[in-house]
Amino acid sequence: MLLGKTLHSSTLRLALIYVGLFAAAIIGLFGYLYWSTLSYVHAQSDRSIAAERSVLDGAFAAGGRRGVVEAIDRRLRDRHFAGWSYLLADGSLTVVAGNLRAWPRSAAGERGWADIPGDGSRLRAAYARLTNGDRILVGRRPARLAGFARTLGFGLASAVGLIILLAAGAGISTARRSVSRIEAINVTSREIMRAGLGRRIPLRGTGDEWDELAANLNSMLDRISDLVEANRQVSDNIAHDLRTPLTRMRARLERACYQPLTAPQYRSLLGEVIAELDGILRTFSSLLRISQIEARNPRAGFRNLDLAALAREVAELFDATAEEHSVSLGIAAERGVFALADRDLLFDALSNLLDNAIIHGGRGGQVRIEAGVDTDGPVVSVADHGPGIPPEEHRHVFKRFYRLEQSRNSPGNGLGLSLVAAVANLHGARIRIEDNGPGLKVALHFPSPPENLAPGNSAPAGTELGELEGEGLTRG
Amino acid sequence: MATSARRVLVIEDDPETADQIVECLRASGYHTDLALDGTEGLQLGRIAEYAVMTVDRLLPGIDGLELIRQLRAEAVTTPALILSALGEIDDRVRGLRMGGDDYLIKPFALSEMLARVDALARRSPTALKETMLRVGDLEIDLLGRTVRRSGKEIELLPREFRLLEYLVRNADRVVSRTMLLQHVWDLHFDPTTNVIDVYVGRLRRKLDSGESYPLLHTVRGVGFCLRAPR
Repeated sequence: MLLGKTLHSSTLRLALIYVGLFAAAIIGLFGYLYWSTLSYVHAQSDRSIAAERSVLDGAFAAGGRRGVVEAIDRRLRDRHFAGWSYLLADGSLTVVAGNLRAWPRSAAGERGWADIPGDGSRLRAAYARLTNGDRILVGRRPARLAGFARTLGFGLASAVGLIILLAAGAGISTARRSVSRIEAINVTSREIMRAGLGRRIPLRGTGDEWDELAANLNSMLDRISDLVEANRQVSDNIAHDLRTPLTRMRARLERACYQPLTAPQYRSLLGEVIAELDGILRTFSSLLRISQIEARNPRAGFRNLDLAALAREVAELFDATAEEHSVSLGIAAERGVFALADRDLLFDALSNLLDNAIIHGGRGGQVRIEAGVDTDGPVVSVADHGPGIPPEEHRHVFKRFYRLEQSRNSPGNGLGLSLVAAVANLHGARIRIEDNGPGLKVALHFPSPPENLAPGNSAPAGTELGELEGEGLTRG
Repeated sequence: MATSARRVLVIEDDPETADQIVECLRASGYHTDLALDGTEGLQLGRIAEYAVMTVDRLLPGIDGLELIRQLRAEAVTTPALILSALGEIDDRVRGLRMGGDDYLIKPFALSEMLARVDALARRSPTALKETMLRVGDLEIDLLGRTVRRSGKEIELLPREFRLLEYLVRNADRVVSRTMLLQHVWDLHFDPTTNVIDVYVGRLRRKLDSGESYPLLHTVRGVGFCLRAPR
């Protein structure tokens, strides 16, 4: 099966295309090498033929026809000159000396080069007419040259073949390797589809890109199964949180059904039922709002917002609430602190934090909202001196419907911090839960806004600091 | 024929929802005309004798926003309340509030819808030009930014003043928490905490304590109403 997949794999196809291109280039290169080597060798051979002819020219100058005949005879006897051909003919082309039977027809004219066909191989020859009208010819059979060319050609062709074989082998083994890794991923995916999200892709520990891919896919699977689990948790919680008020409502309505009630009793019953329903609808609205925020396109509708001004506005809105709970509400947000943000969402998130702080911070406590800039960028925080959240609960408090044991019986639906988390996520802000010693401090760390956004581009922030100073926000 | 100030055009294709809206509006003294699709809605809307129209976002054959746009192009200025499912809320719908129209997310409480229709029906150009507003023995001077109740001056924070101004402009009408957040704080979300109640509560103390009758009433399950006894 793996072989079939390898043969069909895109890696192999790609490797084979590369092998083809590479082979074409190699063949071209070696062809050129073969051609240029042979022409060089032929040129060398022509030069030695020309040199021989000029030796005979010299013999004629020294001893006339006789001198040439002697020189030719000497050479023909010498084994060293095997493969060489010499010919001396008179003006009527009758052979005088040499080892050719007749003057070749192709060697016409005063002087020049001729390729004379003969038995087996052709003869390469240089000829010239001497001053007495005789003609001389010096030639050489390139038998050894042909052998050299064959050896060279064979060598180069073998090299090409070997290279192509090696490249194809490398291609196939690479393809096999990637196919086997992909196959491991495929097998795991099929198992996940069949049996559930528990399976993970095995790592080979090589730390290569395949391991990296497998690790990334595995963490994606972790995230997906977290989300699925969270979803399941949420539907469980919705079912649970809604069943209680719905059951209560049903019991009331059922009683009313069997008991005759007076008109005012009916009115009060209906009022209670409507109040219960409003609570359920509020829970649903909060849930929908959180999903809506989570599904929103980040940055859409974001403006360069003065977080300090926003903090002051939220504080002003909660001034009355703080007063009612005898909580002193302090604010430190004097300078302009700018971040790209959505005013409505951030106001909602800070409202939730402040509401939590005031309600859980305890009567007569102190709640402080701060907006400032630290080394990383803009920060807005809300702190109280209440019982705080135990460290082991920190990572759970942003889950939907999650409520601490100690606050089970106080009002709230366990969605406030989930909304804060969703808003923070949308803004690319980190949420830090800190111990306020004693108490809870929740800080939102925003990414710094781009430099080119001057404070002048900010949104209308509404409340000015001056409005608050006169009244004095800090009350006992 | 009733005066146009009490006529509402309901454009809604779901018969059950339409019945509920019409019933609720009639019970509050409005006369209603019902259009069950966009074509009929356009025809009736062109008569332009309505105080308000409620428009379902998704009508067969036409988008509610498109219907409003067509009517506006024909110079029909009847304020519109768009009724839209949460998933259909986008910037164009949010933009309605800037243009003097309004929107409400389905499913909605009928009381909230009524409060919105009341607010839209009441909007008239003359009311905005007044500089002195009165409800019972309460006087607010919009130029001097002062408030008096039976002649005594009441100290208010600037935001409390804006809150009171909005309540006075909508005197005898019920306004919801969301409407207050929207018009007084310029925030567009439904408050999940009771912060608005507490804020209004403090205003009520400043306004009503020691007086012969209360002006600022809480309407259970809906919101608030500023009303002098008749």
